[in-house]
Amino acid sequence: MWYINRLLDVYVALQAVFALSWCFSDLDSGPVVASNGDRFKIEGRAIVPGFKTQDWISTARVLVEGEDYVGFLKIDGSFAVNDVPSGSYVVEVVSPSFRFEPVRVDITSKGKMRARLVNYIKTSEVVRQSYPLQIRANGPHTYFMKRETWGWTDFLMNPMVMMMVLPLLIIVLLPKVLNTNDPEMRKEMEQSMNMLNPNPELPDVSEFMTKLFSKGSSKSGASNKGSRSVASKRR
Amino acid sequence: AWLGVRLAISVSLLFTASAVFEDQVGKFDWRQQFIGKVRFALFDTHSQASKKLLVATDKNVFASLNSRTGDLFWRHLDKTGPEGHLDSLLMYGQDAVVVVGNGRLLRSWETTVGGLKWETVLDTGSFKAAALVGVQDLVKYVAVLKKTAISLHDLSSGGQIWVENLPDSDTVQYQTIYSEGNGLVFVLGLVPNSHVVIVEYKIEDGEIMNKKSIQAAWMSSLESSCAVISSGILLCVDQITQSLYTLPLQSVEQKEMKQIHLQTLDLEVASGFQPVLTSTQPNPAQPPLAEFFLQLNPDHHILLQLKDGLIAPLRDFNPSNLVAFATTGEKTVAAVMSPKNETACSINLFSADTGRRHLDTTIIYHLDPNVGKPNKLYVHAFLKKDDSVGYRVMVQSEDHTLTFLQQPGRVVWMREEALADVVTMEMVDLPLTGTQAELEGEFGKKAVVTDGLLPMVLKRLSSQFILLQAWLAHLWKLFYDARKPRSSVKNDEVTIENLSRDEFNLQKMMVMVTASGKLFGIDSKSGAILWRHYLENIQPNSGFKLMVQRSTAHFPHPPQCTLLIKDKDIGLASLHVFNPIFGKKSHSSVPALPRPILQTLLLPIIDQDYAKVLLLIDDQYKVTAFPSTKNILQQLQDTASSIYFYLVDSSQGKLSGFRLRKDLSTELIWEVVIPTEVQKIVAVKGKRGNEHVHSQGRVMGDRSVLYKYLNPNLLAVVTESTDTHQERSFVGIFLIDGVTGRIVHEAVQRKARGPVHFVHSENWVVYVYWNSKFRRNEFSVLELFEGAELYNSTVFSSLDRPRPPQVLQQSYIFPAGISTLEATLTEKGITSRHLLVGLPSGSILSLPKLFLDPRRPEVVSEQTREENLIPYAPEMPIRTEWFINYNQTVSRVRGIHTAPSGLESTCLVVAYGLDIYQTRVFPSKQFDVLKDDYDYVLISSVLFGLFFATMISKRLAEVKLLNRAWR
Repeated sequence: MWYINRLLDVYVALQAVFALSWCFSDLDSGPVVASNGDRFKIEGRAIVPGFKTQDWISTARVLVEGEDYVGFLKIDGSFAVNDVPSGSYVVEVVSPSFRFEPVRVDITSKGKMRARLVNYIKTSEVVRQSYPLQIRANGPHTYFMKRETWGWTDFLMNPMVMMMVLPLLIIVLLPKVLNTNDPEMRKEMEQSMNMLNPNPELPDVSEFMTKLFSKGSSKSGASNKGSRSVASKRR
Repeated sequence: AWLGVRLAISVSLLFTASAVFEDQVGKFDWRQQFIGKVRFALFDTHSQASKKLLVATDKNVFASLNSRTGDLFWRHLDKTGPEGHLDSLLMYGQDAVVVVGNGRLLRSWETTVGGLKWETVLDTGSFKAAALVGVQDLVKYVAVLKKTAISLHDLSSGGQIWVENLPDSDTVQYQTIYSEGNGLVFVLGLVPNSHVVIVEYKIEDGEIMNKKSIQAAWMSSLESSCAVISSGILLCVDQITQSLYTLPLQSVEQKEMKQIHLQTLDLEVASGFQPVLTSTQPNPAQPPLAEFFLQLNPDHHILLQLKDGLIAPLRDFNPSNLVAFATTGEKTVAAVMSPKNETACSINLFSADTGRRHLDTTIIYHLDPNVGKPNKLYVHAFLKKDDSVGYRVMVQSEDHTLTFLQQPGRVVWMREEALADVVTMEMVDLPLTGTQAELEGEFGKKAVVTDGLLPMVLKRLSSQFILLQAWLAHLWKLFYDARKPRSSVKNDEVTIENLSRDEFNLQKMMVMVTASGKLFGIDSKSGAILWRHYLENIQPNSGFKLMVQRSTAHFPHPPQCTLLIKDKDIGLASLHVFNPIFGKKSHSSVPALPRPILQTLLLPIIDQDYAKVLLLIDDQYKVTAFPSTKNILQQLQDTASSIYFYLVDSSQGKLSGFRLRKDLSTELIWEVVIPTEVQKIVAVKGKRGNEHVHSQGRVMGDRSVLYKYLNPNLLAVVTESTDTHQERSFVGIFLIDGVTGRIVHEAVQRKARGPVHFVHSENWVVYVYWNSKFRRNEFSVLELFEGAELYNSTVFSSLDRPRPPQVLQQSYIFPAGISTLEATLTEKGITSRHLLVGLPSGSILSLPKLFLDPRRPEVVSEQTREENLIPYAPEMPIRTEWFINYNQTVSRVRGIHTAPSGLESTCLVVAYGLDIYQTRVFPSKQFDVLKDDYDYVLISSVLFGLFFATMISKRLAEVKLLNRAWR
C-alpha cells in the first residue's frame, strides 16, 4: 500500500514537471504581452463555507495583479475576469470580511491556463492548483488584538507571585507540620544544616554583609535610604 | 531553537505594536465613502417602497444609494482609466445593465444584492449607444450600437442573439438606437451636413427590413439636436434655420423632413446656443410621449406637444434653469427649476400631457455660494395614497455635490462628492479657547515690557479667577447634564464656534483641497464638514499646493493658509489665501503672478505678524516674496546667502540648484543632468520640514555609536528607464545634496520597473518597485550613516562635509501590491517609526520600520541580539492585525497624510482616495497615557484594601501589646 502511494506521488511530481516543460518555457522569464491582442478569461469560484453568497459578494472583488484587471462576483460566487492578455498573474479575491489565499495563474500565448500556489521566493516552483479556480475562504480576518484581561488565575500563576507565596507557605506551615519541640527532630535538623554548611570556618555570607554595613558610615546608609525612596517614588 | 524562540519573542513584541483592539472601533477613527461625480443616476421605480438609487460615476464606480439617507447600499469599483469607464446605465426591474470600457463589456447587475448576474464581452469598436428593446410590452433584450456593428443581447442571460454589421459604416456615423416594442429596432446615423440614414432591423434575426436616407444638409450632429417622440417621429432642431424638423421613421413615402419654422410658434433660439430637445420614453416597450422640452437659451425652456402632425406649445417656462421628466404608474410629470430670487430656486411639478401645474408641489432649493450652480436635476416621482403625484428631487451641482430635497425644501441628505478626489491636505491645530488664550497672552513679550510688577500680579489673579469661573461653569454643566435623562442630552455637536484645542492636541482641522477646486475644513475627530469653499473657474487639470503660512500659535493673529493653484498646461498660477479654521478668504493683498511658477519655498523667516515667507520662483528665475513687507525684504537680504533652492525639469532630465542673491535675483550654482535617452526623472522628494529626529545615532552591540547622516538638504531622486523591455528596464535612485549638487549616493535596481513609491525621512529612504524578473514587489531600504564619529555635531553644513556617508542597503519581498507609502510622524521623533502602506485591497498596513533595517543580520550573533535586530528574512510579513483600518477599507487610496499630535506616542493618520479614513496610530503603544482599559476599580480596591488592612492590623497589634503587658 505504501509502495503504491509512493508511486502515485512520483507520478504526480513527474506530471507537474512535465507540465512545466511543455508550456512555460517562455513564461518563466516574465509576462509576455500578446502582441496580437489575444485576450483571455480567468474563471473561478469563491466559496465561503457557512455563509450565503449575498452576505458578502457585494463587498468582494477579484483583483488580478494588484488592480490591473478587476472582476466581480456573481450571485453564485463564481467569477470571470475578462480581457486578460497572456502572462502570469496573481489572482486574489479581496473581501473586508473573509480571508482568501491568492493564486498565481499562468496563461500561455495560446490561451492555456494553469493555476499554482503563489510563492514569491521560489517564483518558478510549481505546486498545481485546480483550474477553473476554486478559492475557498479560510475564515474571517482577525483584525483585532485581544485585550489583556485580569484574572485571579493569571495573578496566582505569575512566577513572581509563586516565588513569594511558596516560601511564605513553607515558613508558615513547616513549623506546624514538624514538631520543633521534639529534641530528636531538632538534632536531626541541626545535623542536616551542618551537612549543608560543610566548612564551619568559612564566614557566613549574610553575617559578612551585616558586618560590612554596620561598619559603613551612617552617611552611606542615608544615601542608601535616599536612593531607595527615589526608587519607590519612581515606581 | 533558541534563535527561533528569540525571534518569536521579538516578533511577538512587535506584533502588539500597532494593532487595534476591538473595543477601540469607531472611538477615534472614522471613514467616509464617496462615489465621485455622477454621470448617470436612476431611481428604482420598480416598486413604490424601493429606496434604491443607482448611480454610475466618472470614477468608474457603480453604486446603489439609499435614497432616504444617502448612504451606500453597495458599491462596485471597476478598473481606473478608460478600460473601466462606464458608458451607459440602463435599468429594468431588478436588473441594471451597464456598458463598460468603451463598449468592451456588457454587465447586468442584480441590484438588491449587489451581485453580478452576467457579463459578456463585446466585439471591439467604439461605443455609440445602448438601449433596452421590448417586444409586446415586455423588455427582453438590450441592443448595443457600436461604430460599425449593432448587437442584440438577451436581458436575462446576456447571450448574444445576433450581431450585424452596419451598412456603409465608413461614411455614416451611426449615433442612436430607437425601438418602441413593435418588433423593430431603428438605428439612426448621419453623414454630417448631407443626409440622415435610418436602418430598420428585425428583432428576431437582425434582418434589415428597410434602409433609407433623408436629406438634411443643415445637420451636424444627430445626438445633440434630435429626439424621437410620439410613435416613432424623429424630431430635430436647428439653430441656423431657426426651425424644427419632423420625420416619421417608418413612413415609406416621405422622402424629406418636414420643416416647421420656430417663428410660427413665436419662438426664437438664442444665437450661438445649441438648442436642446428633451423627450421621455417611460417604457422601452412603448412609444415615447408626444410632449417634449425645447431649450431655447440657457435659462429658457418650453414644453411643446406634437398632435396630429402639428406642434403646439403647452407651457412656456421663462426663466427656468433645469427641467426633467419623471414617470410613476401611468402618470408622467415634468419638474422645472426656475430662479426665485438671488439666493433660492423653486422647483415645481407640471403634468406632462397638459402642462398644468400641480398644486402644492413647490420645493425651494437654496443656492449656496459654496456649493456651486445646479447643473442637473433628477426626479423621483411616486404616487401618494390619494393617487396624486408626489416627488423628491436630487440636484447635482457644478462641484459634484448631490442634494436630495423633499417638499417644501427640506434637505434630506447631501453628499459632497468633490471629496472623492482629494488632491492635497494639511492638518492645522485648532485655536485655543478664549480663556486659554487670555492666560497665554499674559506672558506675551509686550506685556512684560509695558507693565510693572503690581499690574502683572493683578492680571495674574484676574486670569486665575477667570479660569476658576470657567471650571465652575464646566462642573455645573456636568451636574446639570447628569440630572437629565440620557436620551435628551444632546451630543456635543462640533461647530465652528465651539472649536477649541483639546488637552493633547489630538483634534485638528483637516484642510482638504479637491480636484474640482472645492476646499473643505473637516473636524478630524468626528469627520464633520465645518466649512466648505468653492473656488470657481478652476481649470480641470490644475495642480495645487497647500502651505500653512501661520499656524494657530500666534494669537491674536489668525492662522493663515495659502493655496497655490497652477494650471498644468500653461503653468500660470494664482494664490488663494484663507483662514484654515473658518475657511474665509483673507483680505491680504496677493501678489500678481504674470509668469508661470516653477517652484515655491516656504522659509522659516517670519514677519512681524508671524507669517512665514513664501518665495515663488517663476520661469525667468525671478523671485517673488509673499508677504513682501519691508521687514521681510530686509530679513531676506540678510539671510539671502544661505537660501538655496532647486528646480527639476524632467523633460530635459535636468536638476539645477540656485542661490538667492541679496537683490532677490538668483544664481545658478550646480546642475545635474540625467540623460533622458536612458532614464527619466519620476519623482524628487526632500525631507518633511516638520520632522524631528530624536537620536543622533544608534547604539551598537559593542556599545559604540553609529552616527546617522542627517542631512536636511538631501534630495531623493527616482528615475525609471525609458527602455521598458523587462530584461533591460531599471529603476534608479540618486541621493543629491540640494545645496552643493553633490551626488551622495546612487543605486540602481536592474530588471525593475515602476511605479515607484518611496519615503525619504531621517537618514533613510525606503522605496518600492516591481521586480519584473521575479514578478513581485520589492522593498528596498537605504540608510546613511556618518560612521563611528560625528564630523560636526553642532551644526550640519552641506558645504563642509569632507567624508561621504556610509550607505547600507537591503531589499525584501513584499507579497502584495502597493498603492501608496508614507511614514508615521510624531512630535519629537522618540517613538519608533512605522511605514503606512496602502494596499490595493483598501487596507492600510502599519509596517514597523524595524523590519526595514539594512542591518538585519543573516547570521545572528550576540551583538545583533543585543541590538534587537530581527534576523534577515527575504519575505516581509503581512498580518491582518497590522491593518490599522480593520475592515474599514479605503478604496483606491492615493495618499496618506500623517501629522504629529500633542502626545509623543500618537500620530494622526488620514488616508484619502475615493474614501477618506482618519485614525490615530501608536507605533510604540500608548506609553505616555494610561491605557483605555486601565483598571481603576482594581487599583482603588487594592489601595483601600491595604489601607483597611493596616488599620485593622494596627488595632490588633495594640490589643496584643496590651495583653502582653497584662501578662
